[in-house]
Amino acid sequence: MVTKLSHATIYVSDQDKALDFYVDKLGFKVHTDAKMDNGFRWLTVTAPEQPDLQISLLMPLNPYMYKDEEVRNAFKLLLDKGALGAGVMHTPDCMATYEELKAKGVVFQSPPKDQFYGIEAVVTDGCGNWFSMTQPKQM
Amino acid sequence: MVIAPAVYKKIVAGKLYMDQYYHEPISLHSISRKACISRFHFHRLFTKVYRRTPHQYLIKRRIGHAAQLLEKENLSISDVCNLVGFESIGSFSVLFKKETGMTPSNYRAAFLQKKEQARSNPSRFIPGCFIESSQRL
Repeated sequence: MVTKLSHATIYVSDQDKALDFYVDKLGFKVHTDAKMDNGFRWLTVTAPEQPDLQISLLMPLNPYMYKDEEVRNAFKLLLDKGALGAGVMHTPDCMATYEELKAKGVVFQSPPKDQFYGIEAVVTDGCGNWFSMTQPKQM
Repeated sequence: MVIAPAVYKKIVAGKLYMDQYYHEPISLHSISRKACISRFHFHRLFTKVYRRTPHQYLIKRRIGHAAQLLEKENLSISDVCNLVGFESIGSFSVLFKKETGMTPSNYRAAFLQKKEQARSNPSRFIPGCFIESSQRL
């Protein structure tokens, strides 16, 4: 019986830049940073209130991750265009987080807006992904 | 209570000031001056937005940075305590354990042990399916 998700993968174009965004800017914490001899880097981070969900930040653009060049090119296209919608992040205050992240140089696709489910901004990680950053409506 | 965008900018300015100067003996007076709001209003608005008081946030910030510094082997616990702005190693240790669940020395030992294991045997941290599936594609 499956009980929960322990790992989720976000593909990024650059793992060091991803560290800067997820750890230095968003405040996530590094869980594991292990590098194989062939260069494959297993890098996982956790969100402040979800220490048991590891987010693996994987870089699919080198042969150590995917041998097939077509697969790597497909990933490159998606990441270069910033096309991957990686998920939804919650924040207790969307406007405050938006102002702070903007001050730190983070790029948003859209500022906070009222939606039926809460207040939402759309943030980019600078490594090919965008997220909904949502302050959920109090039910 | 609806907070105007211009006021949000001020609260965030105060928070970023704390993020930058957490290691110094900053007061609510100096933080609220940076935010250009009265102490009373800054305290009330900060607490509403961040769900903790400015003092609670400052402690958390200091402990967070202490954890990062403990991951470096060349700093003593006492050095780390002073570098993040605590005056007493006793209170630092108590607050660190309350926040992280571990004493500063146990935190450091656990981090360094894991770091060495990741360096010497990285495959024990990587799910085998990720390595295997990447070899197929």
